[in-house]
Amino acid sequence: MALFRTAEIIKASKLPPEGVKLSRMIDAIYFIPIAYFGVFATFHMHFDLLAGDWDFWIDWKDRQFWVTVTPIVEVMYPGAIMYYFWTFYRQPFGATLSITGLLVGKWITIVLAWYWWANFPANFVMPATMVSSALILDCTLLLTRSWMLTAIFGVWAFAMMFNPSNYPLFAYSHQPVVVDGQLLSLADYMGFTFVRTGTPEYIRIIEVGSLRTFGGHTVWISAFFSAFISMLMFTIWWQVGHFVGQSFFWVKGKRGVRYRKNDIMIVGTDEYALRHGTLPGVPAPVLEGKS
Amino acid sequence: MNTKNILKFCVIGSVGVATLGLTLVFNASPAVAHGERSQEPFLRMRTAQWYDTRWNPGKTAVNDEAMLSGKMHIAEDWPRAVVRPTRTFINVGSPSSVFTRLSSKVNGTPMFTSGPMELGGDYEYVIKLRARLPGHHHIHPMLAVNGAGPIAGPGGWMDITGNHKDFTNPIKLLVGGTVDTETAGLAQGIFWHILWGGLGFLWIGWFMVRPMFLIRARVLAQEGGDELMNDPADRVAAYVMLGVCFTIIAIGFFVTDSQYPYTVPLQAGAPLIKPTHLQSDLTMKVLAADYDVPGRALRMTLTVTNNGETPLRIGEFTTAGIRFLNKVGVANNMDPNYPAEIMALDGLNMEDDSPILPGETKDIKIDSRDSLWEFQRLMDLVHDPEQRFGGLVMSWDDSGNRHINSISGPVIPVFTRAQG
Ligand SMILES: [Cu+2]
Repeated sequence: MALFRTAEIIKASKLPPEGVKLSRMIDAIYFIPIAYFGVFATFHMHFDLLAGDWDFWIDWKDRQFWVTVTPIVEVMYPGAIMYYFWTFYRQPFGATLSITGLLVGKWITIVLAWYWWANFPANFVMPATMVSSALILDCTLLLTRSWMLTAIFGVWAFAMMFNPSNYPLFAYSHQPVVVDGQLLSLADYMGFTFVRTGTPEYIRIIEVGSLRTFGGHTVWISAFFSAFISMLMFTIWWQVGHFVGQSFFWVKGKRGVRYRKNDIMIVGTDEYALRHGTLPGVPAPVLEGKS
Repeated sequence: MNTKNILKFCVIGSVGVATLGLTLVFNASPAVAHGERSQEPFLRMRTAQWYDTRWNPGKTAVNDEAMLSGKMHIAEDWPRAVVRPTRTFINVGSPSSVFTRLSSKVNGTPMFTSGPMELGGDYEYVIKLRARLPGHHHIHPMLAVNGAGPIAGPGGWMDITGNHKDFTNPIKLLVGGTVDTETAGLAQGIFWHILWGGLGFLWIGWFMVRPMFLIRARVLAQEGGDELMNDPADRVAAYVMLGVCFTIIAIGFFVTDSQYPYTVPLQAGAPLIKPTHLQSDLTMKVLAADYDVPGRALRMTLTVTNNGETPLRIGEFTTAGIRFLNKVGVANNMDPNYPAEIMALDGLNMEDDSPILPGETKDIKIDSRDSLWEFQRLMDLVHDPEQRFGGLVMSWDDSGNRHINSISGPVIPVFTRAQG
């Protein structure tokens, strides 16, 4: 028995073998150069505009704002991209695609902009990773097959898992050091020692606000808060995907009236031919099991 | 679009890329000034008034220590258009981190984070640096003011020789051991990115090996298509992936937690720095000042009273990091390492340069005339939203004691020679 249901799916598509071959070529051209690069370029820009500094600098990664802002911003694009791939193709990799794409963009920037052009070491500008969260989100959608349940459970886990999955990357930077008789974290010292002319210290927002007062469990309180806002964001961006991903076209009917057709995926199938007629000279199809 | 058009676009595109490339090459290499002269004159003259700036030594090898130090007077007459210095940071203006900063003390207090500064206060900063990137670099002290942006002080050249690869910046940890800020945490960061990235690509790859789009869309449009595409193999893969993710996250978190038992959050306090105040036996008041646009000179009339015991002579007027001196100033305050391009050794003229005697009050006409007014773009004063100038006047007694007054007042532009 085959691992996947590929053969049945291909059969159900009613495409001739050359059509199947062509569809794989379309997959290759559409997926890597168009979908993947399009997502990584635009998501990278979107993310850097909204949460860039938190992700760039090691001394911005505090227990409150970094933990709150990053999941909220990183769930937006996956929401819309997941809508698109899930609704039209039942492909459950929208979040992973967005966030690995973001990281491809990030690492190009780290190597070319931060390291090669601006001469900052890569550890100082190490980005956070949310690929783990994205995988959890995609798996939730695949298993629940419901955007609502995904928003509630998947996105909750998406935001809550941000801190524990990034702790191994950044814990070292919270080791204490003493410089000039003052206690600093290593991250603070790195922010101090690497001179940033255009980014003075005061731009950082370090644990400003009242979340801090909840018995010192700042990071979990922030993650919880972030999870709720992320759920809202995911839902909004899922709807953005719905709005942008509308697909319809205009059909000219028998009496020459143009009207809007929404279910474009049916075009070219036998059902379509039965419902809307065929071109002159093409015989109407006969469906098996249907009269 | 036919082949010819595609070819045309390619040619236009390459020309564009080449132009951009050439622009970058020719604009980036002679990085003489990085925009300090483009700051508005009233911003440079009446906010931070820099003096005694030192770049020491001017030549270092990678890993050598150097010092950027000097003093700064926060003008009493701070412009209304600029946010007050309630949250400020003394910074280093340099093209990238060509030096790392080892320590920064302002009036003896370490300044790791931003803090408030007082109008009329005087601050002495000492910044210890370690040479990191070889090259010929223009280095400025800089006062960054939250809400107003960075205010650049005078720029001096510092040369670094050697190789960046040899650079190390070790720092001792409180719990023992030393790490290098150039490489700390780098390997584990890359490891985790590769691990998670690898799993991510594996997940996408799981779906890439099968028809992805057109075929699935056609099937989905049919009745029962959704059911058919709910492949049991995918469900198993999703459960496995969820298990793998949660397991790796848990292991990573708890192992790291035991690896670093002592951690502290980011520190963000504000240093409280006590200002000192300028000392002078003179009191000065600006009676009138005008700015001679074609003559490139600032002419001012000051009412000066000497309340001290010794006669004093005016020797220097300094504003926006630019120094105008006469013979008295050159004799008393000449630092041979100060950049010549921001100093006018014969730039200060007085009609009556006799000393101001103890108890005497007199009106003195001072003329600071030099092409630096234009070259340093201070002539743009006429375009500012506040027609006022400011600066520091330095005077000396015969035994070389310095007296400094901060002056400011309205200034009237004179556009033509006939008018003046
Ligand atoms: Cu400069």
